[in-house]
Amino acid sequence: MTDHRQRSGRRGQGELEGLVLSALREADGPATAGWVQERLGGDLAYTTVITILTRLLAKGAVTRERAGRSFAWTSASDQAGLAAHRMRKVLDGESDREAVLASFVTGLGPDDERLLRELLDGSGSEGEA
Amino acid sequence: MGVFVFLPLVLPLTAWPIARLAEQHLHPRTATRLLTAVAAVMALCSTVCLGLVMVVGTAQLPGNPLPDGWSDPEVRAAVPFDEVVGKAAIPALCAVVAACGRTLWRHGRVRRRAHRALAGLPATGVAVLPDEVPYAYALPGGRRDRVVVTTALLEGLEPAERRALFAHERAHLTARHHRFLLTVQLAARANPFLRPLRTAVSYTTERWADEEAARAVGSRRAVACAIGKAALVSRGTPVATLAGFAAPGPVPRRVAALLGPAPSARRWPSLFTSVGLAAWCAAAGTAVSAMSSANSAVTMVLILRAATPL
Repeated sequence: MTDHRQRSGRRGQGELEGLVLSALREADGPATAGWVQERLGGDLAYTTVITILTRLLAKGAVTRERAGRSFAWTSASDQAGLAAHRMRKVLDGESDREAVLASFVTGLGPDDERLLRELLDGSGSEGEA
Repeated sequence: MGVFVFLPLVLPLTAWPIARLAEQHLHPRTATRLLTAVAAVMALCSTVCLGLVMVVGTAQLPGNPLPDGWSDPEVRAAVPFDEVVGKAAIPALCAVVAACGRTLWRHGRVRRRAHRALAGLPATGVAVLPDEVPYAYALPGGRRDRVVVTTALLEGLEPAERRALFAHERAHLTARHHRFLLTVQLAARANPFLRPLRTAVSYTTERWADEEAARAVGSRRAVACAIGKAALVSRGTPVATLAGFAAPGPVPRRVAALLGPAPSARRWPSLFTSVGLAAWCAAAGTAVSAMSSANSAVTMVLILRAATPL
């Protein structure tokens, strides 16, 4: 997790979103994009920060309210919530995810549900159904 | 050599009975290793054979970059219908290479993306994601091996069942199951006749992890309940399955196996039972197939080598 400095040239979207979100969570209340940019050490352009905040807004990870001529941003979810959102996108984008990730359970066929309930309710010594 | 040169392309069909028997009667660990090895050998022979048929069949075409000796009539006599088969082998080989490349690329891409999605979380072995969709899987990544599980799935399980779930996923990671799965996927791309082996291995790796989990938590019933409940809570999740199949799906079979006695680690059933006899026949048949595959491939290589001007 400490290696994002080394390849800061091409940091992924996810990483930037994480950085912006964690900066926002450190704020005491609603914060402006300029505050976030400063907080991140001026590493990112102001427009980049705005872009990322807008993207986080679309994911429901932040909320915003009008404050004068600009917006004040507040974090709505934590890093885990954002990670969950990103992971869902990865999984939904993969039509054949069974082929790549060994998931805990696979889908149930039409009769499988009944069979499964019988097995779990049974004494456990009935053997194969 | 006659039509024997084409044997490696169709002999994978003979691995079907052994896949079925191994899946049902061998210890899942043994079955996984055996079937993966068989699939790898047969896929390799099949691809080598395809490549050699292509080389021999196209060596006489004008403008090809192959050595002149390879278009010798004696070499071409080794492959029946060399012109037609040789030309047909070109798209086939291209398709195999493309499919394998795509499988590898997708495997890498999903793993990379999944790791990137988790960037920013503490670098722990388990990532619990707050999500109302129940799922869990093992995400391999060298030192960054991770178990990913959602709160929705954990909420549906008792403490002992949660331990079983984590033990199952960790068993996947410890035994590097993704390598077996990737091998059989590539094999199935190389020769579609090897697809039943892929299905069999994805089942036996799950069974292997189930058995490891049962050993770790000390209760077969806890693992069975964990799998059953997880399957029931996630039944709404759309997963591509072949609906309408009469045979029970993998999940009820896994639960039934866990509710039964532990599989013996004995390597092979005795010859003097009907199961043993079938297993031995199937094993012998598969071994002969694999060897004739290898024999055909090696003979072709030798013929070409003899014809290569040095």
